[in-house]
Amino acid sequence: MSDSNNNFEDLKRLLKLKQHEVPPPGYFNRFSGDVVSRIRAGDAGGRAGVLDGIQTGSPFLASIFRLLEARPSIIGGFATSLCLVLLVGVVLADRPENASAGPDFASTSGISDAAPALASTVPLATADNSGISISTNPVSSLQPVASMFGSQNPLFQNASFNSGQ
Amino acid sequence: MLAMSEPATVPDPNAPSGQLEGDLVRRARRGDLEAYDELVRRYQERIYATIYHMTANHEDANDLAQEAFIKAFSALKSFKGGSSFYTWLYRIAVNKTINFLKQRRNKYHISLNDIDFNAEHDPDLIALISDKTPQRDVNLSELQKKLNEALLKLSEPHRMVVVLHDVQGVSHEEIAEIVGCNIGTVRSRLFYARQQLQGYLADYIKS
Repeated sequence: MSDSNNNFEDLKRLLKLKQHEVPPPGYFNRFSGDVVSRIRAGDAGGRAGVLDGIQTGSPFLASIFRLLEARPSIIGGFATSLCLVLLVGVVLADRPENASAGPDFASTSGISDAAPALASTVPLATADNSGISISTNPVSSLQPVASMFGSQNPLFQNASFNSGQ
Repeated sequence: MLAMSEPATVPDPNAPSGQLEGDLVRRARRGDLEAYDELVRRYQERIYATIYHMTANHEDANDLAQEAFIKAFSALKSFKGGSSFYTWLYRIAVNKTINFLKQRRNKYHISLNDIDFNAEHDPDLIALISDKTPQRDVNLSELQKKLNEALLKLSEPHRMVVVLHDVQGVSHEEIAEIVGCNIGTVRSRLFYARQQLQGYLADYIKS
């Protein structure tokens, strides 16, 4: 043990060399000025401040940020997967409309099956093309179902576009 | 010459410039940059030296030391005074340095400072080179390089304890407070780190 301690004394002597390492001349004369000018420039509220705030608030989040900083490929992979999710979202956002349109068309065709004569005489798509645009949204309750039974639906009122009549 | 060229002791917070540290901290907390400038001047050498000895790189030490002081200023409102400003500031610098070294993941770029003129007249170093070193032609610069390389082989917690105690002269109790562990851990880390260093530098310290 005493040998070990003696050796440590030699080691301590050697470590004294570290105390003789000095920065360039005049370095400390401008150090505090640099710090204060960076504070004045608002560096205290900058990126480092935010990360430090995160670190004190949530070490878990801070470790995630550190991991992302240390491995930029993770950020790249994350961004790519985000783009893919976005792309899939856009594609799927288009599909439900078409997908929902199918069954509704089927249901209208079902109505047509129920009343083939009516369906053949008054095709839905060509019911009236005289300047009235037809919505593709299924509004089955507004289809002339009631007229199928020969009685007028009291909720419906015939619209007249003739002014002054 | 500089504080880092002398065996370090804990600075008397009220000694330099005749300004009480508590007053300076209170003023700085209110946004008084002149007061904070005075605090920076008091501790800049020790904070810089600690970071430099941990990183063995002047540019990194400069950046980290500045960031530590900037962070301390922005966090002054959270400083409750439970410990001394010096210990609190040291803790910020140590945490910043450890985080930086973890990010760098052992990819060191050594950029060493020059050795001052006094080293050539330091009796301990003269004796070490002339009597103890088997490689008689070794010079101070080479010894400096070997020493820094050996330090960088230590893990960050072990290097930190050696730097704070054997280079900076900080007491075990203060290291425990700064690093956030108990004194027993500090002692055991110091012993292990010295043993490791002794092995790495065997050629330069063997009798």
